[in-house]
Amino acid sequence: MSTHDATAPSASRTGTTKRPAPGRALAVGLVGLAVAGLGYFVSGPASFAMAWLVGFIYWIAVALGVLLLVMIHHIFDASWSVMLRRQFEHWLSSFRYLLLLFLPLLAIAWIHPSLIWTWMDPHFNLAAIGGHGLVGSDLDLHKKAAFLNRNFFTGFSLFAILVWTGLSGVFRRNSFAQDRDGSVRWTMSSRKWAAGGIPLVAITLTAAIILWVKSIEYHWFSTMYGVWFFSDCVRAALSLGLLIMIWLWCRGDYKGLLNDNHLHSIGQLMLAFTVFWAYISFSQYFLIWNANVPEETFWYNIREYGDWWYVSLFLVFGNFLAPFLVLLMYPVKVNKKVFPWVGIFIALVVLVDICYNAMPARLTPTGNPLPFFSVNLVWVAAAVVGMGGICVWSYLRSFSTAKLIPIRDPRIAECLTYHKPNAD
Amino acid sequence: MSTQPYGLIAMYDTPADIMHAAEQVRDAGYKFWDVIAPFPLHGLDRAMGIRRSRVPRISILGGITGFTTGMSLIYWVGAVHYRVTIGGKPFFSPLFAFPVSYELTILFTAFATIGGMFLLNKLPMHYHPVMKHPTIDRGSNDRFFLVIETRDPRFNPANTRALLETSGGREIAELEA
Repeated sequence: MSTHDATAPSASRTGTTKRPAPGRALAVGLVGLAVAGLGYFVSGPASFAMAWLVGFIYWIAVALGVLLLVMIHHIFDASWSVMLRRQFEHWLSSFRYLLLLFLPLLAIAWIHPSLIWTWMDPHFNLAAIGGHGLVGSDLDLHKKAAFLNRNFFTGFSLFAILVWTGLSGVFRRNSFAQDRDGSVRWTMSSRKWAAGGIPLVAITLTAAIILWVKSIEYHWFSTMYGVWFFSDCVRAALSLGLLIMIWLWCRGDYKGLLNDNHLHSIGQLMLAFTVFWAYISFSQYFLIWNANVPEETFWYNIREYGDWWYVSLFLVFGNFLAPFLVLLMYPVKVNKKVFPWVGIFIALVVLVDICYNAMPARLTPTGNPLPFFSVNLVWVAAAVVGMGGICVWSYLRSFSTAKLIPIRDPRIAECLTYHKPNAD
Repeated sequence: MSTQPYGLIAMYDTPADIMHAAEQVRDAGYKFWDVIAPFPLHGLDRAMGIRRSRVPRISILGGITGFTTGMSLIYWVGAVHYRVTIGGKPFFSPLFAFPVSYELTILFTAFATIGGMFLLNKLPMHYHPVMKHPTIDRGSNDRFFLVIETRDPRFNPANTRALLETSGGREIAELEA
């Protein structure tokens, strides 16, 4: 444990030089959301609802991954990630806007739940999605009703997002306050909050993703689901972190601060979580394939229908094999021209993975899903771009309010000379 | 027996000294030389001009061998040599063969990595001429040494000694082979 307060490496390096324009990001965000809104009138309310859900899940995944990485940083007393942590803290400001972006989903749940969550509507006729009988007389749902009911859905969703927002606020306050007084107690406070926050976020994100996405197919069982979502969260956040590092390098802010070892470290984590995602996804598929009981296999049967089969194969080769082989190579991980493309690719395949989990849940009366490649994909893309614009806007607004790196963090000197020769 | 000495050895006091000396020897174009330090020095590999290890190339060959061994073993056993229908499953599927293949990938990668490391670093080495140097034990305690071998094409008793001197080396001595 270090108890000294580090001093700034050099004043000229740490001030924010150019101020980015958050306004443009907000404009992109609003246009994206408007285009997604157009989907309501072109493809119908159900398509709009699904697009909004996918967009929301993607950006809450990014924000949750960022929150988890910040907490993991604190609990391990890590040094290499100190300067990236500041950017993550800026990103954490997006939770409060994600809470606003969740409200339309809450409205859907109370006004017209069968647009997404059929189980909330006891009068919904399952024949509309290839089943039979009413939801209200479905014994499977009765057994799960203690968890799957609209009041719990509402209360827990709000509770979870508020917990995440609150934790984010604590880590942001501690870090920014340390910039002012340099006290090590902020580091200690963050470490304690991280110790409690990690299990809290693990449990809340598991329950939240089960309520928001998995429950659409409420007959299904999988104990891997929360862990699957966790792996996607962290992969998306690591890609974001990499892209921020490269962006700040290209802007000039990170010149003299960022070295190859920082990129190598984030690359190693990206490789580890690529393998972790594959491990989780394969385990889920393998157990269901092996047991071969209809209560579970239907979920994958739906996802082998039509072009979803190719999406499944893309996930195997694009979400695992390709990034795995590329990330094995050291030269890729320290190449500032090639590596960001790996980050962009992983960020996109994580989106495809979320689409794969959410979108086929919407079935036609034949019991088959709508195709992946359809006009609905436009509304999904618009919602993702739109909410992304809002999150970037929130990040950029926070970006100019604090120093580029936490200059008085006890580990900042270690971070800036990370694995570099200590002899000069 | 050749009477030619093994090389020249010089002693340095601090990590900074040895780092700068290594840079000078590297820039002078020497190939057969080494640094002895009591602890790992970050950046010494760069100062010595050493490229990244080739062990990963051996590792990946081990990994590929392990994966194909697992897959082909299970294929041969289940689908060719001893066909038994179990639970209505196909005789062979990469799905149930995957966990085993994956374990073998890890196992063979580990073997290849350990083996490749010993192959490339030539350990265990039971004899090395520097062991005869009277103060070499300081090299595992508080001093740093730099050894240039006589087999290096650029080696020249006078010039090499001069280089070690200008780089700050002390107690320069010839090593018996």
